Amino acid sequence: MKWFVAAAAVSLLALSACGESSSPAVPGATSPQSDILAKAPVATAAEILPGSTMEKIKQRGELLVGGSLDAPLLSQQNPATGEVEGFDAQMGKALAKYILGEPKVKIVNSASETREALLANGTVDVVFQTYTITEERAKQVAFAGPYYTSGLTIAVKKGTTGITKPEDLNGKKVLAGANTPAIPAIKKLAPQAEIITFGSDPECIQALKQDRGVAYVQDETILIADAKKDPSIEIVTKPFTTDPYGIGLKHGDDQMKKFVNDWLKKMQDAGVWQEIWKTSIGTVVTGDAPAPPQIGSVPGS
Amino acid sequence: MGVLLEHLPELWQGLIVTLQLTAASFAGAAVLGVLVCALRVSPVRVLRALGTAYVETLQNLPLLVLLVLVFFGLPEIGIKADPLVTAIVVIAVYEAAYIGEALRSGVNSVSKGQGEAARAIGLTFGQSLRHVVLPQALRTVVQPIGNIFIATTMNTALAGAVSVVDLTASAQRVNLVEAQPIPIFVGAGIAYGLIAAAAGFVTGRLERRLVILR
Repeated sequence: MKWFVAAAAVSLLALSACGESSSPAVPGATSPQSDILAKAPVATAAEILPGSTMEKIKQRGELLVGGSLDAPLLSQQNPATGEVEGFDAQMGKALAKYILGEPKVKIVNSASETREALLANGTVDVVFQTYTITEERAKQVAFAGPYYTSGLTIAVKKGTTGITKPEDLNGKKVLAGANTPAIPAIKKLAPQAEIITFGSDPECIQALKQDRGVAYVQDETILIADAKKDPSIEIVTKPFTTDPYGIGLKHGDDQMKKFVNDWLKKMQDAGVWQEIWKTSIGTVVTGDAPAPPQIGSVPGS
Repeated sequence: MGVLLEHLPELWQGLIVTLQLTAASFAGAAVLGVLVCALRVSPVRVLRALGTAYVETLQNLPLLVLLVLVFFGLPEIGIKADPLVTAIVVIAVYEAAYIGEALRSGVNSVSKGQGEAARAIGLTFGQSLRHVVLPQALRTVVQPIGNIFIATTMNTALAGAVSVVDLTASAQRVNLVEAQPIPIFVGAGIAYGLIAAAAGFVTGRLERRLVILR
């Protein structure tokens, strides 16, 4: 049975790596997620400046979004409907509606190592992919936002003692997702930790359960969802970093950056941002939607 | 370019791991490959079937699937090995199927009379394979084996999926901080290219020296 599960997991991983997916607006669909999009703002004709990136997107008729298809709660493709669901996915659709009048997006499955190149060569218009704003990255891409703030925390196998803060990871084997901000954060706070990386969150969880590492450092939202699904792991700290997620745009496109920031402000003021949070991340994190981060409040944004 | 120089120590360490993986798994694959080839040309039917099953199974599985399956599957039945060791063993087992097949094509190119003559002077199957057939077979498949070596080098990049920090994985880690994929991955690509070019050069020289003109 376990072999079967492993084999099934492997084939799912392979499937999730498949190219790109298009998710047109579903006519007549009445899921709560599309109800929210009905409330999302639409830009006035005057805001779509002639000759701008926004105008080009409008002429094309769809927004090209760099994103993931395998990030639960954030941007995950529902195998039954083919729709990409989650916080990032919904934000992408709302931005498409703002420009086009309808939430027509094409999600290009991008990876951490290709995002900058995809933006630079115009393969995608925007990136919604838990893209943490850093000053290094801001030299390569423009960031609108931040549109969401998250933080890293630590999960262990239930019953593990001696890990209550990041510094406790020194000298221990620590699991982290490849290409996540967890790697630099661990290097900084626990320089003696041995970092072991895997490509996806399910693999890291499996490795944690098989004692390939004593702790797993990952975004709090993802760990809460993991701990809800799997009672054998527990979260031992509050978030100890602040990761401001930005909307990746082509470097130097100030018109587009201002346009997206204006949209984000309208989304927050109209309460659409909060509703999108509630139907995605809010399904595992209890309580009201947090206050959205101040736009432009982070170095690099 | 500056970004490569700045992170040279990490990338160098990754390159060393890639070279270790390549050398160790290729050596393992060579030994196993000879065994697989011996099975496939053996006069015993059961052994031949065994060899065929090995080759057919491994050539029809993607290496990444095999790696992840072994890495996460075996601990479930109580066998847990170091990631580097796991990667070396899996890549060796996988590439052995290809080396076995390359060698078999070499064996088929050795004229039947050679085997018959070996038997006529009283050599056993093992002896005739070792002293008569394989040495001739090897000489005709230098280039295909060289290509398998190059493929092995490229395939080691998949070891990153099971937490081995090879050249590809270290390039990804550097890019995570620097966000400059083009210089970083072009640099890593050039390193792989140089390994492949060196392998091509060596096999080219070897082939010219060893070739048997029939």
